[in-house]
Amino acid sequence: MNGQEKFDKFIEKYPQPHQHFTRRPHLTRRKFFEIAGAGVTASFLTNHLSAAPSIVQFPVPMRNTAQNVIYILLAGAPSHTDLFDYKQIPQQPAAFAPTTINGAAFPAGLMPKLAQHLQNGDFSIVRSLNSWGLVHTLMQTWTQIGRNPSGVLGNISPNIGSVVAIEKTQPTQLFPTFLALNSGNCAGPGYFSAQYAPFKVTPATGGLRNTTSPEGQTRFNSKYALMHSLDDNLRIDSPLGTAMEDYNVFYGAATGMMYNPIVNKAFSYTTAESQAYGNTSFGSACLTAKKVLEQNQGTRYIEITLGGWDMHVNIYQQAQLPTLGKQLDDGLGQLITDLQADGLYNNTMIVMAGEFGRTVGPLTAAAGRDHWPVQFAFFGGGGVKGGTIIGATDPTGGTITDFGWSRDRVVRPEDIEATIYSALGINWTTIRQDDPLNRGFYYVPNSDTDLYGPINELFG
Amino acid sequence: MSELGIRSRRQIKVMESLRYRVVAPIVVGALVSASFYMTTSRVKAAEADTPGEQQMLPVEHAECAFFGPKREHYMQALLNKARGGRGESPRGLLTRQVTARLPQFMPGGSPSHDGSVSTTGDTIDAYVLGQLQTLGIKPAESTNDYEFIRRVTIDLTGQIPTPAQVIQFVNDATPTKRANLIDQLLASSQWVDKWTMFYGDLFKNTATNSQITINNEGRNAFYKWIHDSLANGKPYNQMATELIGAQGTNNTDQTQGNLNFLILNYQGGGPAQDIYDAQTAGVAEAFLGLAHVNCLLCHNGRGHLDTLSLWAGQMTRYQAWQLSSFISHTNMPGTASPINPATPNAGRLTSWAFTTGTTDYTLNTTIGNRPARQPLPGGTKTVPPLYLDGVSAPAKGADYRASLAQFVTKDMQFSRAAVNYVWAHLFGIGIVDPPDQFDLDRLDPNNPPPAPWTLQPSNPKLLDALARHFISSGYNIKSLLREITNSQTYQFSSRYAGNWNPTWESYFARHFVRRLWAEELHDSIVIATGIVPTYNVSGFSNASTYYGVTSPGFGPVSYAMQLPDVKTEPDGGGDVSQFLDSFLRGDRDLTPRKEEGSILQALNQMNDAFVENKVKSTGSAVTGSNLVALLTSGIPDNQLVSQLYLTVLSRYPTATELQTAMSYLATNPSHSQAAEDLFWSLFNKVDFVFNY
Repeated sequence: MNGQEKFDKFIEKYPQPHQHFTRRPHLTRRKFFEIAGAGVTASFLTNHLSAAPSIVQFPVPMRNTAQNVIYILLAGAPSHTDLFDYKQIPQQPAAFAPTTINGAAFPAGLMPKLAQHLQNGDFSIVRSLNSWGLVHTLMQTWTQIGRNPSGVLGNISPNIGSVVAIEKTQPTQLFPTFLALNSGNCAGPGYFSAQYAPFKVTPATGGLRNTTSPEGQTRFNSKYALMHSLDDNLRIDSPLGTAMEDYNVFYGAATGMMYNPIVNKAFSYTTAESQAYGNTSFGSACLTAKKVLEQNQGTRYIEITLGGWDMHVNIYQQAQLPTLGKQLDDGLGQLITDLQADGLYNNTMIVMAGEFGRTVGPLTAAAGRDHWPVQFAFFGGGGVKGGTIIGATDPTGGTITDFGWSRDRVVRPEDIEATIYSALGINWTTIRQDDPLNRGFYYVPNSDTDLYGPINELFG
Repeated sequence: MSELGIRSRRQIKVMESLRYRVVAPIVVGALVSASFYMTTSRVKAAEADTPGEQQMLPVEHAECAFFGPKREHYMQALLNKARGGRGESPRGLLTRQVTARLPQFMPGGSPSHDGSVSTTGDTIDAYVLGQLQTLGIKPAESTNDYEFIRRVTIDLTGQIPTPAQVIQFVNDATPTKRANLIDQLLASSQWVDKWTMFYGDLFKNTATNSQITINNEGRNAFYKWIHDSLANGKPYNQMATELIGAQGTNNTDQTQGNLNFLILNYQGGGPAQDIYDAQTAGVAEAFLGLAHVNCLLCHNGRGHLDTLSLWAGQMTRYQAWQLSSFISHTNMPGTASPINPATPNAGRLTSWAFTTGTTDYTLNTTIGNRPARQPLPGGTKTVPPLYLDGVSAPAKGADYRASLAQFVTKDMQFSRAAVNYVWAHLFGIGIVDPPDQFDLDRLDPNNPPPAPWTLQPSNPKLLDALARHFISSGYNIKSLLREITNSQTYQFSSRYAGNWNPTWESYFARHFVRRLWAEELHDSIVIATGIVPTYNVSGFSNASTYYGVTSPGFGPVSYAMQLPDVKTEPDGGGDVSQFLDSFLRGDRDLTPRKEEGSILQALNQMNDAFVENKVKSTGSAVTGSNLVALLTSGIPDNQLVSQLYLTVLSRYPTATELQTAMSYLATNPSHSQAAEDLFWSLFNKVDFVFNY
C-alpha cells in the first residue's frame, strides 16, 4: 500500500466527519516505537508544563526554525491554476505574462514582485494540497483550526494561533501573542481562555485607537489608580476561574498598550510606508505585521485575511483577478523584501493558502471558475528552503499527479498545521488533557497514530 | 402569577406538536444525502467515478453558518453540555466573581419577598422552586431594592434608572411597589425601544446582509413595523403571521416593512429552491427555535445530527423540503426604480413584491447553494407542502404561505420558542439552551425520550407553563415579561450565600450577571452623565418625497437603542459606531451579538471621546451635565460622592469607597478635575459594565 491508500483506509475506518472521541490518548509501547522510530532519545512522556493540564507527547523531532508565523488566509478560494500552480489558457489576459522561473511556470506579469522572489528562491509552493470539502465557511474554519470543525471536539477547538499563544505567551510581554489583522470573523480561542483569543485589529495610519487619554498620561495614571482602588474588591483574587481574571487582564493589557511608544511604532504608519505595500488594506496589514514583529513584544502568530477570491463570474475582468493579484503581489512581495532587510525573514515563516481551489481548464459559461478541491499552499521564511516545489498536478491542474513528499499522499490542512507547530518548536503530537469533553485535545488530530505530520521536505 | 392558573384552564386550541417522531419514515436513507465533506475517496471519485459524483463538484454548498462565524455561539452550548459536573461556565464564574463583594456595598433597601413561596400551582415560582426542592438546592435570597430596580430597568428598558427613580423606589412603602415599577417600565417608550432592538436581532433586520440589500429605507421601514407592533401591543402570533404570510408590494416608499423579513432571508446565486430553503430556515429559526432545519435542507439528520438532537437525527431532507414547499408558491420580483423620476440615473432603489405564484417545489436542481435536489427512487419530481407534524397540509386553494403562518403560529413549539428566547435574554441561559436548538422529541414532561436521552428543557414543566401562559394571554409579549419579572425566580439575587455548585446552573437558583449590550452601555452613560447626543440615521429623513411618495422618514435619535441597525449606524457617527462595535453588537447576519470582553473594549471605555467628553465639568459640550449640576450646587464632598455613585451605579458607596473617593477629592489640587476623575472611574467599574 502506498501512503495514499493507507491514509484512505484509515479515513474509511474512522470517517473524518464522525470521528468518535472515545479513544482516549493512550500510548502503547508498540505504537510509540512505531511512530518515534529511530529518533527515540527523550523520555517516554514529556511533561513540559509542571502544572495541570497533564500532557501527552511523543518525542518527535521538531524543526524549531521559526520564532514567528504569519498566516495569510486567501478567503473565497483563489484559483490555483491562475496563481501558484499556473496553467496557461487562451482566455487569460496577456498581461499575466507567464514565464518559467526555476522550472516552474509563473504569471510574472500578474505578480512581478513575487516572481522576483521566486527567482531568488525566497519561497516554496506545495501543489499537492487537497481540500476536504468545498464549503467556504466550513473550510475556512477547518484551515484555521487544523481539523474538522463539525466534529465533536472540532466545535470547541482553538485557532492554531491560540495554540501558539498558550504555548508561547510570556507573563511579561506587551503585545498579545496572537494578532489578527483584517480578520474580524477569524476562528477564536475555542475552549481556551479568552487570554489566548486573537487580538483583532484593522490597521489604520493612526495606529490603535484610544491608546492615549485626552487628559494626558499623568492625569490618566491618577484616575486609573483611583478606579483600581475603588474596584479592586471586584477585580483581585479570582481563585475560582478565568472569566473575571480575563476581564482584569483586558484592562491590564489595555493600559500596558497606552502611552507606549512601542505600540505607536508597531501599529501606526505613514502613507508613504503603506504606498510601498500597494496602499490597500491587505498591504497595510502586511506592513503592520512587519512593524509588530520588528518590535518583538511577544506577538508570535499573525493571521491576515485577504478575501474576495470567490470568482464564479468574469474572473479575468480587471476588477477581479488582475486587481486582487496585484494587491497580493504588492503586499506580500514587499513584506518578504522588508522582513529580509530586517533579518527577520529567517525566523518568520509565512504560510498562505485559501480554503480550496477552483475549477480548471477553460472558464465556465459565466467566464469564471467554480469550486475545486485541488489547491496550493505557499511557504516562505522561517527555515523554509526556498525554491522548492512540492507536488505536481496534471497539465490542467485538476488532478494531483505527484504528491512530492515523504508521506506519499495528498497534503491536508492538518499537515500544514503540523508544519507550523514543528517550525515553531511546538510538539505537534501534544495531547492536552484539559478539554471540557475530557477526551484529550490533540494539537494535530490523530497524532497518536501519526496520521498527519509536518512537510519536512520544505525545510533546508 | 395566579392568573396563569386561571387562564390555563381555558380551552386552548393549540395543535400539540410534541409527537413529531417519525414512526414509519417515508423514505429511509435513500435520499440524496450529499455530504458536506469529501473524504479522500470522494475527492478522487469526483474526478472520474460517476456522473452523479461529478455533478456534485460544481455545486456550491450552503454557506453553513454553523462552521463559520456562528461556530462560537454554539460552542458554548457544547461546552455547557460537556462540562457535566466538572466545571463552571464562564457566566457562572463571572457571576460569582462580580457578586463576591456585592453584599458589602449594597446597604439599605429591603427585599420585598421573604423567600417563602408555595411550590404548588401553575406558576413560574412553583415550578422552579419545586424543582429546587426536589434537587435539594437552596435558592439565592431575593434582590434588595437597589439591585432590583437597576436589574429590571436595564432588562426592560435598556437603561439604568436615574437617582430620583432609585430613591423614590427604595423609599416607597407600598407592598406592590415592584409590580408597580414593572408596570411603569412596560408602559414606557424605552421599553418599546429596547424590545424593538431585541426583535430586530431575532428577525435580523439590517440594510445589507451577505445575500441581499433592502436599503436603509427598507430596514427603517421594517424597524418601524417592529416598533409600532410592539408599541400597539400587536399579538406575537399576528406579528409572525404578517411576517411569514407577507403579501403585497414593497414599493419604493418602503412602507410595508413586514415584507422585509422574508426578503432578508434571500439566497442569491442559485435556483428558486435555494431562496425557498433559505426563507424556510429563517422561519424555523426565528419562530420555532429549530436552527437544525437549515442542516436538514442539505442532508438527512442521520449521520449528522444524531448526537445533537433525537428529533433532527431522524428527520430526512425530504421532510425539510416539504416544509420549504410552503414558500414555493411565491413570486418575488424585484424592480429597480429611480428615487426621483426627474433624474432616473441619479439613484435607484430596488423594491420587491410578493405575489402568490404557481411554481411548485421541484426536485430538479444540480447547481446552486445546496446539494442537488433530485427525485427519490420511485418518487415524484414535485414536493407537496406538509408541515413538520406530518399532518397539516394547505387546504385546497389555500395560499401556501398563509397556511404555513397558520400552522406555525398554532404549533405549541411556536410559543415555546418565543418564551424561551425572551427567558434566555433575561436569565442568560434558556430553559432550552441555546434557544435556537430545540429537540422536538425531548420536550414533553409527561413523555420522556428513550434512554440515554433525557428531556431537553432544564425545567420542562416551567417551559410548558410559560408557553401556555403566552397563548392564553393572547401572545402578549408584555404580559410574558410581566409574569417573568414579577416572579421571585427573576428576583433572586446574583449573590449566593453558601456553597454554590456549578451543576446547579440551569435551574435558576440564582441570577446570572451579563455584560451590558453595546447600546445599553451607551444609553446608560448618556443617562448618567445627562449629556444627550443627537444622531442621524441613514436613509431618507422625515418628509422627504421621492417617486411621488412621502417617505416615512427616520428622524434623529438620541439613544443607541433607537438605532434601526447594529452596523454602520448612527450615520456619520464613525467614532460612536466604533465604540458600539467594540462591544460586539453583531451584524444581524452571520455574526451574533456577543458578551465577551476584550482589550479594545477596555481601551474604548477608558479613553474614547464618547466617554471622555461626557465626564468633563467644563467646556462647550457639558450642556445638561449631571456632574456640573452637582458641582455647582456646592454640596459637601461626602454628598457629592454619594450622588455620583447613585447617578452611575444606582447605589450608595460603601464606607470604604466613600473614604477613598473623599480623600482623592481632598488631596487633588483641582477639585473639579478630581470629581471628573471619580466620575470616570465609576464608568469603568465592573459593576457599571455588568447587569447583576
